Amino acid sequence: MAVLTQQKPTTVIEKFNNETWRRKFLRNVIIPWIFIAPLLLIHIFVVAIPAAQGVYMSLTDWKGVGRDVNFIGLENYRELFFEDDTFGKSLVNNVQWMAFFLTVPFILALFCAAMLAQVKRGGMVYRSILFIPYVLASVVTVTIWKNLLNPRQGVGAALADLGIEGFNVAYLGRSESALMSIAFIDNWHFWGFLMILFLAAMQAIPPVLYDAAKIDGANRWQEFRHVTLPGIRPIVLFMYMMVAIWSFLAFDYIWLSTQGGPAGASEVVATQLYKNAFLRYEAGYGAAQGVVISIFAGFIIMIFVTLKRRGWDI
Amino acid sequence: MSIYRLKRSLLIVAVLALLIPMGMVNAQDVTTVTMWFDEGTTLDCWGPIMESFNEIDPSIQLEIVPQANSWDVTRTAVAGGGGPDIVRTPGPSFVYEMAQAGLILPMDAFADEMGWGDFFFDWALDLGLVDGQLYSLSDELETLVLYYNVNVFEENGWTPPDTVADLNALAQEVEAAGYTVFSHGNASWRPTNEHFVGEYMTQIAGPRNVYKALTGEIPWTDESMVNAMEVLDEHMQAGWYGGGVDLYFTNDGTYRRTALAEGSAAMNIEGSWAIRGTVEYFGESGQTWDWVPVPSHDGTDYFTIGMGNTSSINASSPHPQAAAQFLTWYFSPETQGEMLSSCLKGPAPVTISEDVLSELDPRISRLYAELSDASDNDRYGYTTWTFWPPKSDVYIYEEIERVWTGEISVRDYLQGLDDLFAEELEAGDIPPIPTR
Repeated sequence: MAVLTQQKPTTVIEKFNNETWRRKFLRNVIIPWIFIAPLLLIHIFVVAIPAAQGVYMSLTDWKGVGRDVNFIGLENYRELFFEDDTFGKSLVNNVQWMAFFLTVPFILALFCAAMLAQVKRGGMVYRSILFIPYVLASVVTVTIWKNLLNPRQGVGAALADLGIEGFNVAYLGRSESALMSIAFIDNWHFWGFLMILFLAAMQAIPPVLYDAAKIDGANRWQEFRHVTLPGIRPIVLFMYMMVAIWSFLAFDYIWLSTQGGPAGASEVVATQLYKNAFLRYEAGYGAAQGVVISIFAGFIIMIFVTLKRRGWDI
Repeated sequence: MSIYRLKRSLLIVAVLALLIPMGMVNAQDVTTVTMWFDEGTTLDCWGPIMESFNEIDPSIQLEIVPQANSWDVTRTAVAGGGGPDIVRTPGPSFVYEMAQAGLILPMDAFADEMGWGDFFFDWALDLGLVDGQLYSLSDELETLVLYYNVNVFEENGWTPPDTVADLNALAQEVEAAGYTVFSHGNASWRPTNEHFVGEYMTQIAGPRNVYKALTGEIPWTDESMVNAMEVLDEHMQAGWYGGGVDLYFTNDGTYRRTALAEGSAAMNIEGSWAIRGTVEYFGESGQTWDWVPVPSHDGTDYFTIGMGNTSSINASSPHPQAAAQFLTWYFSPETQGEMLSSCLKGPAPVTISEDVLSELDPRISRLYAELSDASDNDRYGYTTWTFWPPKSDVYIYEEIERVWTGEISVRDYLQGLDDLFAEELEAGDIPPIPTR
C-alpha cells in the first residue's frame, strides 16, 4: 500500500530514485535507442555526413581531386541557374522523362495487371514472362535494344528487307527521337515491376466487394473504376511518388545508350552531373546539381506528405 | 578431451606460432608493386609480358589487378589516399590535377638515377612535366591515319588522296560508286568526335596555327580554324562519315571495322590503336588494307601525336623505388618492342630498335617509322585528348555535335571553345605543349 500512497516523483533526482520510473525509462527510452542505434549510426556515417559534405562541396570550387577547396558561396548555383543553358535543357528533358514514366508504364501495368488478375490457370507463367525484363542488368537491356533499334541490322532493317519501309530509322541518332527511344527501352524493363505490384494489390482486394458490385449490376469497367482502382490507390500513389523521384535520378539507361547525345538531345541532370564531376573536374559544380536534384525530390515528397495530411489514402 | 590430445594440440599451435614469423620474414623480403588495369583482351596480351618482370628480380613482384573501369576506380582510390603503386591515367592532361593535389610523386630523381632520358624522346619526357617537375611517363604513342580498302581502290582505279582537294574529289566518286566514304560512327565511344576536330585543325589550319592557339597567341576563332571546322562540317553533312549524321551517331565499333574490311566502305580516318582490329577484321574478310597520312591542305604529311595513357607513382606508395624500377623495365625499348611485336601495342615514345620494326608487318613498321620521322622534322600535330585541358576537351567532342545537327554555327562553336580555353589558360590548366 506504501507504493499506492507514494507521491509521483517530480525532480530528476526523485525520478532516478524511483525504481518503477527507472524501469519504465529503461523500457520506453533506453532499449528502443539501443535497438535503433546500429542503424542510426550507419545512417549518420553513410548517408547524413556524406550528404552534408555534398551540400558543403556545392558551395566550393573543389575539382574532385586533392584537398584544394575554396568556399565560393552560392556561385555554383548562380552559374547553374543563370549562365548554364544546358542545365535548363537537361531539366526539361527530366520533366519529359517524368511525364513519360508517370503515364505509359502505369497505363500498361494497370491494364495488364487487371487482365492477369482474372487469369485462373497459368497466371504465374505470364507474370514471370512479363517480369523477366526487370531482372536483366541495364547494360544487357540497352545492348539488346541498341541492336534491335539499329537502322542497319535491327528490326527496321529486317522489315525493310521484307519490303516494309519507314522503320529503319536511327532512333537513337536523331535529336528528336533519342530521349523517348531511351525511355521506351527503360520502360520495357520497368513496367513489369509495376504490374507485379499492382497485381499483388489487386489480389488483396476482398472478393466480396466484386460480388457486391456484380449484384449492383456493375460491368467490368465499373468494377475496375469503383472497386479495383480505389482498392489499389495507396500503392498507385506511392509508386507515383517514387517514379517522380526516380525520374530526376535517371542515369544508367541514358548513359549506356547515348551518353546524353546526340547534341545533348538526351542529356538529363544526372548525366550532366557525371560529366561535370568526373570529366570536366568540376566536382563542386556537380555537387550543386546533385543538391538541386535532391531539392526536387524533396519537393515531390512534400506534395505527397501534404496530400496525406489532407486525408488522401497514400 | 584427453590430456594427450590436449598436449598434441598445444604442440601443433606452438610449431605454427614459430612458423608464422618465419613466413613473414620471407614475405617481407618481397616487395609487391601493384598496378590496376582494364580487364579484357588488351590485358590478356599485355599481362603475361608485364608479369615476365617478376622473373628478373624475385624481390620485386608486379601484381596486376584487373578492374572493370580502371581509371574511375584508380582516381577515386588515389584521391582517398589509397590505390595502386603505379597510377595509370588516360593521358597527360589527367596528370595535372593529381600532381597539383600531391597525389602522385615527382619522379625527376628516379629519371636521373635510372637514365630514363637515355631512351625516351626529349619531347616525350616534357609531356610529363607539371610546374617543371616530372610526374608522369607517357605511353602508347598514337596518331591518326587514313586506312583504306586496297581491293575497293584497285577495283575502281582510285589512288589514295594526298590533299584535301584530292579527298573531296575522291569522296564524290566513292559515293557515286555506292560505297560509304568513311566507315565511322560514335555509338561505342562518343569522344570519337574529337578525333576529327583535332585532325582537321592540324591538317587544314596547320599544326603551327594549332600550336599558336594552344599557347594563346591566336584565338580559336581564327579564320584558319573556322575554315577547318567548316570543311569538317561539310564532310559530315555530305554523309561521308558513316552514311549520314544520324547514322554516324548509331554506328558502333563493329560496324566501323566490318564495313571497311568487307568493302562496303572505302576509307576510314582512324587511330593507330585500330591496327590490331584492322588486321583481325581484314584477316577474316580476306581483303587487303593499307594506310596513308591523313590528307592535308597542302599535301604535307602531318601526323597528329597523342598519348594513350600515362604512368606515375602513387604518393602513398610504400615502395616508390621498386615502382620506379618496374617503370624503368616497362618503358625500356626492349619491353616496348616486345609488346609492339606481340600485341601490336602502340609503343611508348622511346627509341624502338630497327630489328623489332623490321620483324613487323611492313605497313605497321612504316607507320611508326614515318611518325618518328614526322616528329623529328617538325611535321607533328596535336590530338585533343593529349594537349587540350579537360573542360575544353569535353566541350570539343560534345558541342561539335550541335554543329553537325545544325543547332549552332561553326563560329559559335569556336567562340565557345575560345571562351572556355581562355579560362583554363588563365588558370594554368593547360597540359605541357612541346615548344616548336
